[in-house]
Amino acid sequence: MADSDVWNIVLVWRQDKTMSAFNALIREAKFTARDRTVGFWMAVVLGLSSMSVGFGLIEVERQNTTIQNLIHADQQDRSGGFEKFEDWGSAAYYSFHLTYDPPSDFAYAAMGQRDAQPWKHRIRMLALEGQIYERDAGNPSMAQIGRFDFAFFAAFIIPLVLIMLLYDLRTSELGAGRHDLLEAATGQPFCFWLLRACLRAGGLFLCLIAPLIIAGIIAGTTASKLALASLWIFAYTALWTLLCFSISAWRKPGAVILMTLITIWISAAVILPAAGRLAIDKLVPVPSGADILMLQRETVNDAWDLPRQATMDAFFSRHPEWSDYEPVKSAFEWPWYYAFQHVGDQQAEHLSTAYRDGRLQRARIAALLSLLAPPSLLERSLQSLANTDLHSSIRYEAGVRTYHAALRAYYYPKFFRNAPFDKSLLKNLPKFEPGQ
Amino acid sequence: MKQVLLIAAGEWRYWLRSQLALGGALIFLVLIVATSLLNNLRMEAEKQTRTRQQTEAEETFLSQPDRHPHRMVHYGHYLFRAPAPLALLDPGIDAVTGQAIFLEGHRQNTVMFAESAASADFGGLSWLSPALIYQLFAPLVIILLGHGSVVRERETAMLAPLLAMGISGRTLIAGKALALLSFAVCLLLPLVAGGAMALAGGETLIALLSLFGAYCVYLALWVALTLLASTTFKKHSTVLAVTTALWFGFSLVLPAVAVDLASNSEPVAGKIETDLAMLADSRKVGDGHNANDPALQQLRADLLEKHSVERIEDLPVNFRGIVAMEAEQKLTKVLNDYAASRMAAERRQEKRLIDYGWLTPVLAVAFLSRSIAGTDLAHYHRFQRAAEAVRFAFVQGLNRVHVEKLSYQDDINRNKNEAAWQRARVDASNWQVLDTFQFRTAGISQRIQHASSSIRILLAWLTVMFGILFWCGGKIKP
Repeated sequence: MADSDVWNIVLVWRQDKTMSAFNALIREAKFTARDRTVGFWMAVVLGLSSMSVGFGLIEVERQNTTIQNLIHADQQDRSGGFEKFEDWGSAAYYSFHLTYDPPSDFAYAAMGQRDAQPWKHRIRMLALEGQIYERDAGNPSMAQIGRFDFAFFAAFIIPLVLIMLLYDLRTSELGAGRHDLLEAATGQPFCFWLLRACLRAGGLFLCLIAPLIIAGIIAGTTASKLALASLWIFAYTALWTLLCFSISAWRKPGAVILMTLITIWISAAVILPAAGRLAIDKLVPVPSGADILMLQRETVNDAWDLPRQATMDAFFSRHPEWSDYEPVKSAFEWPWYYAFQHVGDQQAEHLSTAYRDGRLQRARIAALLSLLAPPSLLERSLQSLANTDLHSSIRYEAGVRTYHAALRAYYYPKFFRNAPFDKSLLKNLPKFEPGQ
Repeated sequence: MKQVLLIAAGEWRYWLRSQLALGGALIFLVLIVATSLLNNLRMEAEKQTRTRQQTEAEETFLSQPDRHPHRMVHYGHYLFRAPAPLALLDPGIDAVTGQAIFLEGHRQNTVMFAESAASADFGGLSWLSPALIYQLFAPLVIILLGHGSVVRERETAMLAPLLAMGISGRTLIAGKALALLSFAVCLLLPLVAGGAMALAGGETLIALLSLFGAYCVYLALWVALTLLASTTFKKHSTVLAVTTALWFGFSLVLPAVAVDLASNSEPVAGKIETDLAMLADSRKVGDGHNANDPALQQLRADLLEKHSVERIEDLPVNFRGIVAMEAEQKLTKVLNDYAASRMAAERRQEKRLIDYGWLTPVLAVAFLSRSIAGTDLAHYHRFQRAAEAVRFAFVQGLNRVHVEKLSYQDDINRNKNEAAWQRARVDASNWQVLDTFQFRTAGISQRIQHASSSIRILLAWLTVMFGILFWCGGKIKP
């Protein structure tokens, strides 16, 4: 700020003690707008925010294209195969079915778990536990660093920018020897500093939120989601502004204030989440995924050596409606084959449920703990708005299970009633509907 | 030289009197020691679990009863990826990659169950490791201590007397740099302690020294950057603002931006997409379960001619086994081609990401560090290739047993009745075709060779930074 500006402020506040607060606001806004450092940070935030939502929109577009291509390729692959089948069993064995979880209208802002958890599968009638943990994940080198999505930018970078903007609110004026003059001139030093802090933070908030809203309009995001996201981001910005404001009031060198604020950032953004993760993972054990798979594989493989009736009994205990099934006298029968596939799932069910419940329990405690770690809280909140959090991922998993159940419900009458094979009926196979 | 030492000693004395410097260094020390201990415990527990699971899987396979050999091909086997010794310093991509893979005939499965998928989700920064602390937070401590080194002398009007005493600008900078570099080496002492544990875990001394060297270069670069800012700007607060902004720009913003840029400029097709194409190709190979598959007719004719017999039944070997072996061989070639092209695509994408190290040294040191630790993408691919080698070896071993130890008559009649079903088996001692498996990192020279572009980038950064600093040092004016 040039010295002439300071004299302006002094004069204005002197004259306008009786003037409305509104005029003071306008004048201070003009001075803020003329501050080159502030202008630089606004431009940076505007640029990075636009970049993050831009990347998000491109990624959402790519995922949608992938899904469209897969739906097409999947249909081609299956209908091409229909010709070769001679019985229901081989039709079920060789037909894969695509399941997918399309990105939501707000996913451009927070990709969240979509980079780590699977959101597309091709499943078939075999034991589901062996298929559902297949990870069609991207390059781990990229996943390890993580995307520059809006949620990451707003939750982790914005506080640092706010710190840069506000830590020397007073010390810079002290350093320039104008601090006492300003305080004396304005008469209400607290209001003056708060106004200045709020103007800077407010400008930053607008630069942050504008690209998000524009991208939301492009992506057709529902207004309520955008409003809610804006509200959270506003509260979050306000929280950090207040924090920076109160710490910058210390009569300490700028370096001490800056490092204190950065230490607070590190504690909230890194140390608390890291310690929280370790503690929660220790506190809530989940079964090892490999154990689920092994148990399921063992059951399925052992079935070949067991008397068929043992498998069928285990199957009928869950599906009594088919218990009047008359086995065909043959070397190999498909109904028995699919029964032991399902018994494999039944055997592993308790582990699989514990795996899911454990993950949900971890997520619940993490949600509570993140009340203490605002960056995590904001990131998680945006992810839950965008349906890219763990809950959404588990909902998708449940959708795949439901679809697998629908496939079984389609084939079981054919198997257990020994229905004659009819290719034309394959057109009635249940179709996967995302968001079931 | 004596002047340089004196200046460096003066700088150390100043830090020891400064609460800010001491506080910052202390916080860093607590953080790095706590993280090293926790990470050490975690990786040690992971190692034990995965080694135990591996042993159990092998025992289960070997203890299977007498069976038809092809049943064992489908019974399959599990491999677990034990962490590298240096993972206790830099776990690299360990958390986001799967830990277990199921091996079976006719298929290459994906590596499943990444730790990050089940862990409480707090975002990427919560996977704190000693390496991450050195990459992100050590520069901050250097900024904290070093930002004032030259500008402080300027602001307290000490610069003019110093220069007037005949101390050249370059000597002054050299002294300050020496102090900061010696401090940086102190910061790295916990790394050495952690490395000693890795040494006990079977890592080589050269790997440890390379890792130490990599972080020395990285921190030296931040020393140069900080001094440069301290020399260039006239005000203490400007220096601090600029270096802090550079810090989070380099370490938080640019790496994530680089991920998005690389994923847009070098996209990798998903597995399901490529699998669709692969399925079409693999169907051409023929079904190894079906001895009458038209794709295998040539094999039948060749074999009959070779043994000068008319009928399959008269062959001295089990034709069904031969078919299974031949089909597995051909199919594996198709699968390997697809796997190789997917790995190549991932490597190309990673290469693009590594090239963004020219924009931020944080990326360069991150890749270098995990390459040396053996926890990078190359080692993940190495695991996948090792797993495929194990898979192919035991499947073909079992197929060979099928060819040589099971008669064709027993084999085709196996579904006739219970007694025939019992006859179509081989002895469980044949399951010994399975090799024991332990995942090992590549040799250190190979690891370093793999990281050559990161090394080049990092050294270029270092040279340029110190070059500019040297040049600026000559132009210092009070």
